[in-house]
Amino acid sequence: MWGYPEPIERLMEQFMRLPGIGPKTAARLAFHCMSMSKETVAEFSKALLDIKERLVECQICCNITEFSPCPVCRDERRDRSVLCVVQDAKDVVAMERTHEFHGLYHVLQGAISPMDGIGPNDLRIRELLTRLAGTDDSVEEVILATNPTVEGEATAMYLSKLLRPFELKVTRIARGLPVGGDLEYADEVTLAKALEGRRSL
Amino acid sequence: MIVKWVDLENYRNYRHVFFELSPTLNVFVGENGQGKTNALESIFYLGIGKSHRTVRDYELIQFGETRSTLKTLVEHEIRNYQLEIQIEENVGKKAWINHAPYKKMSDYIGHLQVVLFSPEDLQLLKGSPALRRRFLDIEIGQSQPTYLYHLALYNKTLQQRNRFLKSHNIDESLLDVLDEQLSIHGSYILLKRIDFFKDLNHIASSLYEKIAYQKEKLNIKYDSSLRIDDAYLYSFTIHEFQEALYTGLQKQRKQDIHQCITTIGPHRDDLLFYLNEKDAKKYGSQGQQRTIALSLRLAEIELLYKLSREYPVLLLDDVLSELDDDRQKNLLLSMTEKVQTILTTTSWSSLADYFRMAPKLYKVDSGILTSEG
Repeated sequence: MWGYPEPIERLMEQFMRLPGIGPKTAARLAFHCMSMSKETVAEFSKALLDIKERLVECQICCNITEFSPCPVCRDERRDRSVLCVVQDAKDVVAMERTHEFHGLYHVLQGAISPMDGIGPNDLRIRELLTRLAGTDDSVEEVILATNPTVEGEATAMYLSKLLRPFELKVTRIARGLPVGGDLEYADEVTLAKALEGRRSL
Repeated sequence: MIVKWVDLENYRNYRHVFFELSPTLNVFVGENGQGKTNALESIFYLGIGKSHRTVRDYELIQFGETRSTLKTLVEHEIRNYQLEIQIEENVGKKAWINHAPYKKMSDYIGHLQVVLFSPEDLQLLKGSPALRRRFLDIEIGQSQPTYLYHLALYNKTLQQRNRFLKSHNIDESLLDVLDEQLSIHGSYILLKRIDFFKDLNHIASSLYEKIAYQKEKLNIKYDSSLRIDDAYLYSFTIHEFQEALYTGLQKQRKQDIHQCITTIGPHRDDLLFYLNEKDAKKYGSQGQQRTIALSLRLAEIELLYKLSREYPVLLLDDVLSELDDDRQKNLLLSMTEKVQTILTTTSWSSLADYFRMAPKLYKVDSGILTSEG
């Protein structure tokens, strides 16, 4: 039986380590790489290496960054009285896209999930507490913006207990209807949650 | 609602069959293995989109064929619906209502509500507590989607907690958090279950009395792992449940850590059945247990009616066997004209006198139905 030459198979196996890629897609990608110029391939592999070599964790907010402290932490125009706690770096980007939040961030690098062997010590919680106790004592409000999943809720609840001694305002982001959506299209649970979190006008 | 007619093609042992049903009582008589239950199953399938006997839809297609079509006309108070489901080997199933295709089965379901009693229902009594919890969860979840949401989150949190209990150094403040989350979701589950249970107990025990002819009294108990006195259990608010569950979990903590499992909560609750104060699971006869299971199913009818103001169709598969003559008689006499009933039996002549109304009678013989008036 004829198989792929060894270098192609090896590349395919590497592609298959990525999420959402099976053998067929891997073969397609590998053959596409063969048709690319040598320079392009070099650029591609350098880009891959760079994300490991040129990225560090910000010493303040634990977000991934090229230079620590990260641009957000260095930016003096940011509001230093509000701190938003998120699960990972992608959440920071999502929050930034709103252009509505001008405070600081803290990236936990995950959420508590005993099933996956992730406990509080595996997250950047200690860093958060040191931060609030020392360097960032100007913080008045902590917004817990972890995901509305079992794990995200557990993490938020756990943090709210830990933060109690700091006597800060601790808030949790709201849950409810997507903007621009019709009520009739919302699922029952989302609608029930939105009803629960209603406010007076 | 009323099933006016059913049309089956290549379904189980029916090549093609069309039968009209009476709005009150219908009886399918035949020897074993002739297709009585198949006919009943087809109506169940048209209502729920699933068989009660198998999870593999292709088993419903007649041997040697690749496609089966089921159709029925259902009369509601306001209008009629023609329902159709097609099962195709290696393709799956498709559904139509009044000839319009329905992509999602969840949108299709509900146009024909059925309640089925089959011999397997005896497991409701004899089987493990998990089966009884499932019965409660399905019945409540049907009408309340938020119940299923809380149930899913409760189970997820429970898995997290049980996994956490197995770890070496247990951070007690994290356990506090998991306990609190369990209490939030668990209290909702308890509140809804107790609500449902109160209705169920009330209706099922009065039905039991009718069938057993006051020989004995049925009483159902919601057996809570929280060990709360009945009087409190039945009147607790959601906050009181949350409080009780949280303190309960805290009290059990040492033992839970020792056993690496969560020992209290709605996932450990059960239903207990008492006949004249005696545990029916242990001391009840086969016939008594069957009557209890039957009472539960018949209670379902009333509960569904309360919700939708329309009676479901009642399917009784081989319900009469194992019941003594009196019980058979009382069951048949208790049938009302309000509920369309379809019943299978192996022998008919001895029962004919008990029926309050003249039934439509079908003889079932090797996949052929013959109407007998």
